[in-house]
Amino acid sequence: MVNVKRYTVVRNLVFGWLTVILLAGFLLNFPKINILEHTARNLYFHVPMWFTMMAAAFVSGYHSWKVLQTGDPLRDIRALQAARVGTFFGILGITTGIIWSRFTWYVGTDVWWNFDPRQIMVSIQLLIYGGYFVLRSALDEPGKRAKISAVFNLFAMTALPFLLYVIPRQMESLHPGAEGNPAFSQITHPVMRLVFYPAIIGFVGLFWVLYTQRVRVAWLKYRVTQDSEM
Amino acid sequence: MLLMFVLSSLFLIALAVGQEPISEPLKSALLWVVIMFSAAIGLGRSFIAEQERGTVLLLQLNVRGSQVLAGKLIFNFILLTAVDLVGLGMFSFLLDLQIEHLSLMLVVLTLGSIGLAGATTLLSAIIARASNKGPLLPVLLFPMLIPLLLSVVRAASEALEGGMGWSGVQTELATITAFGGVVLTASFLLFEYVWTE
Repeated sequence: MVNVKRYTVVRNLVFGWLTVILLAGFLLNFPKINILEHTARNLYFHVPMWFTMMAAAFVSGYHSWKVLQTGDPLRDIRALQAARVGTFFGILGITTGIIWSRFTWYVGTDVWWNFDPRQIMVSIQLLIYGGYFVLRSALDEPGKRAKISAVFNLFAMTALPFLLYVIPRQMESLHPGAEGNPAFSQITHPVMRLVFYPAIIGFVGLFWVLYTQRVRVAWLKYRVTQDSEM
Repeated sequence: MLLMFVLSSLFLIALAVGQEPISEPLKSALLWVVIMFSAAIGLGRSFIAEQERGTVLLLQLNVRGSQVLAGKLIFNFILLTAVDLVGLGMFSFLLDLQIEHLSLMLVVLTLGSIGLAGATTLLSAIIARASNKGPLLPVLLFPMLIPLLLSVVRAASEALEGGMGWSGVQTELATITAFGGVVLTASFLLFEYVWTE
Protein backbone atom coordinates (compact mmCIF):
# COMPACT_ATOMS: atom_id res chain seq x y z
CA MET A 1 0.00 0.00 0.00
CA VAL A 2 2.93 2.34 0.45
CA ASN A 3 5.72 3.46 -1.83
CA VAL A 4 8.62 3.79 0.65
CA LYS A 5 10.88 5.62 -1.75
CA ARG A 6 8.31 8.22 -2.68
CA TYR A 7 7.45 8.79 0.97
CA THR A 8 11.12 9.29 1.93
CA VAL A 9 11.66 11.73 -0.93
CA VAL A 10 8.57 13.79 -0.09
CA ARG A 11 9.37 13.78 3.63
CA ASN A 12 12.92 15.02 3.11
CA LEU A 13 11.66 17.61 0.64
CA VAL A 14 9.11 18.90 3.18
CA PHE A 15 11.70 19.06 5.97
CA GLY A 16 14.18 20.92 3.77
CA TRP A 17 11.47 23.27 2.52
CA LEU A 18 10.33 24.11 6.06
CA THR A 19 13.91 24.70 7.19
CA VAL A 20 14.33 27.29 4.45
CA ILE A 21 10.98 28.87 5.40
CA LEU A 22 12.01 29.12 9.06
CA LEU A 23 15.31 30.77 8.17
CA ALA A 24 13.72 33.13 5.65
CA GLY A 25 10.87 33.93 8.04
CA PHE A 26 13.22 35.17 10.73
CA LEU A 27 16.02 36.61 8.61
CA LEU A 28 14.39 38.31 5.61
CA ASN A 29 13.81 41.96 6.27
CA PHE A 30 10.68 43.83 5.19
CA PRO A 31 9.45 47.42 5.49
CA LYS A 32 7.85 48.38 8.78
CA ILE A 33 4.07 47.83 8.97
CA ASN A 34 1.85 50.00 11.11
CA ILE A 35 0.90 48.49 14.52
CA LEU A 36 2.13 45.01 13.54
CA GLU A 37 5.80 45.83 13.05
CA HIS A 38 7.89 42.71 13.44
CA THR A 39 5.10 40.58 14.88
CA ALA A 40 3.95 40.40 11.27
CA ARG A 41 6.41 37.53 10.94
CA ASN A 42 3.84 35.43 12.74
CA LEU A 43 1.91 35.53 9.46
CA TYR A 44 4.23 32.83 8.14
CA PHE A 45 3.26 30.45 10.91
CA HIS A 46 -0.19 31.42 12.15
CA VAL A 47 -2.06 31.58 8.83
CA PRO A 48 -0.70 28.32 7.32
CA MET A 49 -1.95 26.49 10.44
CA TRP A 50 -5.47 27.60 9.56
CA PHE A 51 -5.08 26.49 5.93
CA THR A 52 -3.67 23.16 7.06
CA MET A 53 -6.53 22.59 9.45
CA MET A 54 -9.05 23.28 6.67
CA ALA A 55 -7.22 20.82 4.42
CA ALA A 56 -7.28 18.22 7.20
CA ALA A 57 -11.01 18.77 7.75
CA PHE A 58 -11.66 18.19 4.04
CA VAL A 59 -9.55 15.03 4.03
CA SER A 60 -11.33 13.76 7.13
CA GLY A 61 -14.78 14.58 5.75
CA TYR A 62 -13.99 12.97 2.39
CA HIS A 63 -12.89 9.72 4.01
CA SER A 64 -15.90 9.74 6.35
CA TRP A 65 -18.11 9.91 3.28
CA LYS A 66 -16.19 7.01 1.75
CA VAL A 67 -16.63 4.98 4.96
CA LEU A 68 -20.40 5.24 4.51
CA GLN A 69 -20.15 4.17 0.89
CA THR A 70 -17.69 1.29 1.20
CA GLY A 71 -17.39 0.37 4.89
CA ASP A 72 -13.64 0.00 4.34
CA PRO A 73 -11.74 0.08 7.70
CA LEU A 74 -8.81 1.86 6.03
CA ARG A 75 -11.12 4.78 5.23
CA ASP A 76 -12.08 4.93 8.90
CA ILE A 77 -8.42 5.04 9.91
CA ARG A 78 -7.77 7.83 7.41
CA ALA A 79 -10.72 9.91 8.65
CA LEU A 80 -9.63 9.50 12.28
CA GLN A 81 -5.97 10.31 11.71
CA ALA A 82 -6.75 13.34 9.52
CA ALA A 83 -9.01 14.62 12.31
CA ARG A 84 -6.26 14.05 14.91
CA VAL A 85 -3.54 15.83 12.94
CA GLY A 86 -6.03 18.57 12.01
CA THR A 87 -6.81 19.10 15.70
CA PHE A 88 -3.09 19.44 16.38
CA PHE A 89 -2.75 22.15 13.72
CA GLY A 90 -5.93 23.85 14.92
CA ILE A 91 -4.57 24.09 18.47
CA LEU A 92 -1.31 25.52 17.12
CA GLY A 93 -3.23 28.00 14.97
CA ILE A 94 -5.45 29.28 17.77
CA THR A 95 -2.50 29.48 20.20
CA THR A 96 -0.33 31.50 17.82
CA GLY A 97 -3.33 33.73 17.11
CA ILE A 98 -4.13 34.37 20.78
CA ILE A 99 -0.50 35.17 21.61
CA TRP A 100 -0.24 37.43 18.59
CA SER A 101 -3.35 39.44 19.46
CA ARG A 102 -2.45 39.59 23.17
CA PHE A 103 0.91 41.24 22.58
CA THR A 104 -0.03 43.37 19.59
CA TRP A 105 -3.51 44.79 20.18
CA TYR A 106 -4.11 44.21 23.87
CA VAL A 107 -0.87 45.40 25.42
CA GLY A 108 -1.51 46.68 28.92
CA THR A 109 -4.83 44.86 29.29
CA ASP A 110 -5.65 41.43 30.63
CA VAL A 111 -7.48 40.37 27.49
CA TRP A 112 -6.49 36.94 26.22
CA TRP A 113 -9.67 35.79 24.57
CA ASN A 114 -11.28 38.08 22.04
CA PHE A 115 -14.44 37.36 20.13
CA ASP A 116 -12.84 37.30 16.76
CA PRO A 117 -14.96 35.45 14.16
CA ARG A 118 -12.15 33.20 13.00
CA GLN A 119 -11.08 32.41 16.52
CA ILE A 120 -14.64 31.28 17.25
CA MET A 121 -14.79 29.18 14.10
CA VAL A 122 -11.60 27.34 14.99
CA SER A 123 -12.83 26.78 18.54
CA ILE A 124 -16.08 25.31 17.23
CA GLN A 125 -14.21 23.04 14.85
CA LEU A 126 -12.00 21.89 17.74
CA LEU A 127 -15.06 21.26 19.93
CA ILE A 128 -16.63 19.22 17.12
CA TYR A 129 -13.50 17.10 16.82
CA GLY A 130 -13.47 16.75 20.60
CA GLY A 131 -17.03 15.41 20.34
CA TYR A 132 -15.93 13.12 17.48
CA PHE A 133 -13.18 11.56 19.62
CA VAL A 134 -15.47 11.22 22.64
CA LEU A 135 -18.13 9.57 20.47
CA ARG A 136 -15.57 7.12 19.08
CA SER A 137 -14.52 6.11 22.57
CA ALA A 138 -18.17 5.45 23.46
CA LEU A 139 -18.69 3.03 20.55
CA ASP A 140 -17.19 -0.37 21.16
CA GLU A 141 -17.70 -2.44 18.02
CA PRO A 142 -15.26 -1.30 15.23
CA GLY A 143 -17.65 -1.58 12.28
CA LYS A 144 -20.37 0.32 14.08
CA ARG A 145 -17.87 2.88 15.34
CA ALA A 146 -16.62 3.58 11.81
CA LYS A 147 -20.12 4.15 10.46
CA ILE A 148 -21.64 6.14 13.33
CA SER A 149 -18.66 8.42 13.82
CA ALA A 150 -18.54 9.09 10.06
CA VAL A 151 -22.18 10.16 10.20
CA PHE A 152 -21.40 12.54 13.06
CA ASN A 153 -18.34 13.97 11.31
CA LEU A 154 -20.37 14.79 8.18
CA PHE A 155 -23.43 16.01 10.09
CA ALA A 156 -21.43 18.38 12.29
CA MET A 157 -19.58 19.82 9.31
CA THR A 158 -22.85 21.07 7.78
CA ALA A 159 -23.18 23.62 10.59
CA LEU A 160 -19.86 25.35 9.95
CA PRO A 161 -20.55 27.32 6.74
CA PHE A 162 -23.24 29.32 8.53
CA LEU A 163 -20.65 30.88 10.76
CA LEU A 164 -19.19 32.61 7.71
CA TYR A 165 -22.44 34.55 7.35
CA VAL A 166 -23.57 35.04 10.93
CA ILE A 167 -20.59 35.98 13.01
CA PRO A 168 -18.97 38.68 10.85
CA ARG A 169 -22.17 40.73 11.17
CA GLN A 170 -22.05 40.67 14.94
CA MET A 171 -18.40 40.87 15.84
CA GLU A 172 -15.40 42.86 14.84
CA SER A 173 -12.38 41.14 13.47
CA LEU A 174 -8.67 41.74 13.75
CA HIS A 175 -8.13 39.93 10.47
CA PRO A 176 -7.47 41.70 7.18
CA GLY A 177 -10.33 41.89 4.71
CA ALA A 178 -12.98 42.29 7.41
CA GLU A 179 -15.13 45.39 7.54
CA GLY A 180 -13.01 48.49 8.09
CA ASN A 181 -9.75 46.57 7.97
CA PRO A 182 -7.29 46.92 5.12
CA ALA A 183 -7.15 44.07 2.63
CA PHE A 184 -4.47 41.46 2.89
CA SER A 185 -2.60 42.73 -0.16
CA GLN A 186 -2.47 46.29 1.20
CA ILE A 187 -0.63 45.49 4.41
CA THR A 188 1.73 42.83 3.22
CA HIS A 189 4.89 43.63 1.34
CA PRO A 190 5.81 41.50 -1.70
CA VAL A 191 8.79 40.19 0.27
CA MET A 192 6.45 38.76 2.88
CA ARG A 193 4.32 37.03 0.30
CA LEU A 194 7.50 35.44 -1.04
CA VAL A 195 7.75 33.57 2.25
CA PHE A 196 4.05 33.31 3.08
CA TYR A 197 2.79 31.29 0.10
CA PRO A 198 5.62 28.73 0.25
CA ALA A 199 4.96 28.46 4.01
CA ILE A 200 1.39 27.33 3.30
CA ILE A 201 2.68 24.65 0.94
CA GLY A 202 5.30 23.64 3.52
CA PHE A 203 2.86 23.20 6.39
CA VAL A 204 0.29 21.36 4.26
CA GLY A 205 3.20 19.12 3.27
CA LEU A 206 4.01 18.62 6.95
CA PHE A 207 0.38 17.60 7.48
CA TRP A 208 0.71 15.05 4.68
CA VAL A 209 3.88 13.57 6.22
CA LEU A 210 2.41 13.30 9.72
CA TYR A 211 -0.94 12.03 8.44
CA THR A 212 0.38 9.29 6.15
CA GLN A 213 2.83 8.20 8.83
CA ARG A 214 0.09 7.83 11.41
CA VAL A 215 -2.21 6.07 8.91
CA ARG A 216 0.45 3.45 8.22
CA VAL A 217 1.10 2.78 11.92
CA ALA A 218 -2.65 2.58 12.59
CA TRP A 219 -3.12 0.23 9.64
CA LEU A 220 -0.38 -2.10 10.90
CA LYS A 221 -1.98 -2.09 14.32
CA TYR A 222 -5.37 -2.77 12.76
CA ARG A 223 -4.02 -5.86 11.00
CA VAL A 224 -2.77 -7.20 14.32
CA THR A 225 -5.64 -6.29 16.63
CA GLN A 226 -8.59 -5.63 14.23
CA ASP A 227 -9.04 -2.32 16.05
CA SER A 228 -8.80 0.96 14.14
CA GLU A 229 -8.30 3.08 17.26
CA MET A 230 -4.74 4.18 17.90
CA MET B 1 -41.29 16.13 33.00
CA LEU B 2 -39.65 18.33 30.39
CA LEU B 3 -42.01 21.19 31.12
CA MET B 4 -41.17 20.89 34.82
CA PHE B 5 -37.51 21.16 33.85
CA VAL B 6 -38.26 24.39 31.97
CA LEU B 7 -40.25 25.74 34.91
CA SER B 8 -37.67 24.95 37.55
CA SER B 9 -34.72 26.21 35.51
CA LEU B 10 -36.55 29.44 34.72
CA PHE B 11 -37.37 29.86 38.39
CA LEU B 12 -33.70 29.32 39.17
CA ILE B 13 -32.74 32.02 36.70
CA ALA B 14 -35.36 34.42 38.02
CA LEU B 15 -34.06 34.00 41.58
CA ALA B 16 -30.42 34.20 40.49
CA VAL B 17 -31.09 37.42 38.63
CA GLY B 18 -33.18 38.78 41.50
CA GLN B 19 -34.67 42.19 41.03
CA GLU B 20 -31.76 43.58 39.09
CA PRO B 21 -32.95 44.93 35.75
CA ILE B 22 -31.27 42.98 32.95
CA SER B 23 -30.91 44.07 29.36
CA GLU B 24 -32.97 42.68 26.47
CA PRO B 25 -30.08 40.83 24.74
CA LEU B 26 -29.31 39.10 28.03
CA LYS B 27 -32.96 38.09 28.52
CA SER B 28 -33.04 36.66 25.01
CA ALA B 29 -29.78 34.80 25.65
CA LEU B 30 -31.10 33.31 28.90
CA LEU B 31 -34.35 32.23 27.23
CA TRP B 32 -32.49 30.43 24.44
CA VAL B 33 -30.01 28.80 26.79
CA VAL B 34 -32.95 27.33 28.72
CA ILE B 35 -34.58 26.11 25.48
CA MET B 36 -31.38 24.50 24.21
CA PHE B 37 -30.64 22.79 27.51
CA SER B 38 -34.23 21.49 27.54
CA ALA B 39 -33.70 20.08 24.06
CA ALA B 40 -30.43 18.42 25.07
CA ILE B 41 -32.01 16.88 28.16
CA GLY B 42 -35.54 16.13 26.97
CA LEU B 43 -35.09 14.99 23.37
CA GLY B 44 -32.00 12.83 23.89
CA ARG B 45 -34.07 9.83 24.85
CA SER B 46 -36.10 9.61 21.61
CA PHE B 47 -34.28 6.54 20.32
CA ILE B 48 -32.92 5.18 23.60
CA ALA B 49 -36.50 4.64 24.76
CA GLU B 50 -37.21 2.53 21.65
CA GLN B 51 -34.23 0.35 22.47
CA GLU B 52 -35.17 -0.11 26.09
CA ARG B 53 -38.69 -1.16 25.23
CA GLY B 54 -37.37 -3.43 22.47
CA THR B 55 -39.42 -1.85 19.71
CA VAL B 56 -36.48 -1.04 17.42
CA LEU B 57 -36.66 -4.33 15.54
CA LEU B 58 -40.39 -3.96 14.97
CA LEU B 59 -39.89 -0.52 13.48
CA GLN B 60 -36.94 -1.65 11.38
CA LEU B 61 -38.97 -4.49 9.89
CA ASN B 62 -42.21 -2.65 9.23
CA VAL B 63 -41.44 0.98 8.56
CA ARG B 64 -38.94 2.73 6.34
CA GLY B 65 -36.14 4.62 8.10
CA SER B 66 -37.17 7.98 6.71
CA GLN B 67 -40.67 7.49 8.13
CA VAL B 68 -39.30 6.74 11.57
CA LEU B 69 -37.15 9.86 11.40
CA ALA B 70 -40.05 11.98 10.19
CA GLY B 71 -42.21 10.76 13.07
CA LYS B 72 -39.54 11.47 15.65
CA LEU B 73 -38.86 14.89 14.13
CA ILE B 74 -42.50 15.92 14.23
CA PHE B 75 -42.90 14.72 17.81
CA ASN B 76 -39.73 16.52 18.93
CA PHE B 77 -40.80 19.68 17.15
CA ILE B 78 -44.18 19.69 18.89
CA LEU B 79 -42.47 19.08 22.23
CA LEU B 80 -40.07 21.96 21.60
CA THR B 81 -42.93 24.26 20.64
CA ALA B 82 -44.54 23.48 24.00
CA VAL B 83 -41.20 24.23 25.69
CA ASP B 84 -41.00 27.53 23.77
CA LEU B 85 -44.48 28.62 24.77
CA VAL B 86 -44.16 27.66 28.43
CA GLY B 87 -40.69 29.18 28.53
CA LEU B 88 -41.79 32.43 26.95
CA GLY B 89 -44.89 32.66 29.13
CA MET B 90 -43.08 31.99 32.38
CA PHE B 91 -40.20 34.25 31.35
CA SER B 92 -42.50 37.20 30.80
CA PHE B 93 -44.32 36.39 34.05
CA LEU B 94 -41.17 36.12 36.19
CA LEU B 95 -38.85 38.64 34.55
CA ASP B 96 -41.34 41.22 33.35
CA LEU B 97 -40.71 40.73 29.67
CA GLN B 98 -42.05 43.38 27.28
CA ILE B 99 -42.36 41.81 23.84
CA GLU B 100 -42.51 44.56 21.24
CA HIS B 101 -42.95 42.30 18.22
CA LEU B 102 -44.89 39.23 19.33
CA SER B 103 -45.31 37.84 15.80
CA LEU B 104 -41.57 38.13 15.11
CA MET B 105 -40.84 36.43 18.42
CA LEU B 106 -43.16 33.51 17.59
CA VAL B 107 -41.65 33.12 14.11
CA VAL B 108 -38.12 33.11 15.54
CA LEU B 109 -39.10 30.54 18.17
CA THR B 110 -40.77 28.29 15.57
CA LEU B 111 -37.99 28.46 12.97
CA GLY B 112 -35.34 28.04 15.67
CA SER B 113 -37.15 24.99 17.00
CA ILE B 114 -37.12 23.36 13.57
CA GLY B 115 -33.34 23.57 13.39
CA LEU B 116 -32.99 22.54 17.01
CA ALA B 117 -35.29 19.53 16.58
CA GLY B 118 -33.44 18.51 13.40
CA ALA B 119 -30.00 18.59 15.00
CA THR B 120 -31.12 16.90 18.22
CA THR B 121 -33.08 14.08 16.58
CA LEU B 122 -30.26 12.74 14.40
CA LEU B 123 -27.74 13.07 17.23
CA SER B 124 -30.06 11.22 19.61
CA ALA B 125 -30.21 8.40 17.05
CA ILE B 126 -26.39 8.42 17.06
CA ILE B 127 -26.03 8.26 20.83
CA ALA B 128 -28.63 5.49 21.05
CA ARG B 129 -26.01 3.28 19.35
CA ALA B 130 -23.24 4.24 21.81
CA SER B 131 -22.58 2.17 24.89
CA ASN B 132 -21.53 4.84 27.36
CA LYS B 133 -24.17 7.53 26.93
CA GLY B 134 -23.80 9.83 29.92
CA PRO B 135 -23.58 13.49 28.89
CA LEU B 136 -22.71 12.54 25.29
CA LEU B 137 -25.60 14.38 23.61
CA PRO B 138 -24.76 17.90 24.88
CA VAL B 139 -21.10 17.34 23.98
CA LEU B 140 -22.04 16.54 20.39
CA LEU B 141 -24.94 18.97 20.14
CA PHE B 142 -23.74 22.30 21.54
CA PRO B 143 -20.82 23.01 19.16
CA MET B 144 -23.17 22.42 16.22
CA LEU B 145 -25.80 24.77 17.60
CA ILE B 146 -23.55 27.82 17.94
CA PRO B 147 -24.42 29.31 14.52
CA LEU B 148 -28.11 28.82 15.28
CA LEU B 149 -27.74 30.21 18.80
CA LEU B 150 -26.03 33.40 17.60
CA SER B 151 -28.79 34.17 15.09
CA VAL B 152 -31.78 33.30 17.26
CA VAL B 153 -30.48 35.25 20.25
CA ARG B 154 -30.00 38.34 18.12
CA ALA B 155 -33.35 37.96 16.37
CA ALA B 156 -35.19 37.37 19.66
CA SER B 157 -33.59 40.35 21.33
CA GLU B 158 -34.64 42.45 18.34
CA ALA B 159 -38.19 41.21 18.88
CA LEU B 160 -38.00 42.21 22.54
CA GLU B 161 -36.51 45.63 21.98
CA GLY B 162 -38.63 46.67 19.04
CA GLY B 163 -36.02 48.61 17.13
CA MET B 164 -36.17 47.91 13.43
CA GLY B 165 -38.52 44.92 13.74
CA TRP B 166 -38.68 42.55 10.79
CA SER B 167 -36.36 44.48 8.51
CA GLY B 168 -33.60 44.53 11.13
CA VAL B 169 -33.20 40.77 11.33
CA GLN B 170 -33.47 39.64 7.71
CA THR B 171 -30.02 38.01 7.67
CA GLU B 172 -30.72 36.26 10.96
CA LEU B 173 -34.08 34.91 9.76
CA ALA B 174 -32.48 33.71 6.53
CA THR B 175 -29.71 31.99 8.49
CA ILE B 176 -32.13 30.31 10.90
CA THR B 177 -34.28 29.04 8.02
CA ALA B 178 -31.27 27.84 6.05
CA PHE B 179 -29.84 26.12 9.12
CA GLY B 180 -33.10 24.24 9.62
CA GLY B 181 -33.22 23.26 5.95
CA VAL B 182 -29.64 22.04 5.78
CA VAL B 183 -29.85 20.13 9.06
CA LEU B 184 -33.11 18.42 8.04
CA THR B 185 -31.71 17.47 4.62
CA ALA B 186 -28.51 16.09 6.14
CA SER B 187 -30.59 14.16 8.70
CA PHE B 188 -32.65 12.40 6.04
CA LEU B 189 -29.54 11.61 3.98
CA LEU B 190 -27.55 10.23 6.89
CA PHE B 191 -30.24 8.61 9.05
CA GLU B 192 -30.32 5.36 7.07
CA TYR B 193 -26.68 4.66 8.04
CA VAL B 194 -27.42 5.07 11.73
CA TRP B 195 -30.72 3.22 11.75
CA THR B 196 -29.88 0.05 9.84
CA GLU B 197 -27.43 -2.37 11.44
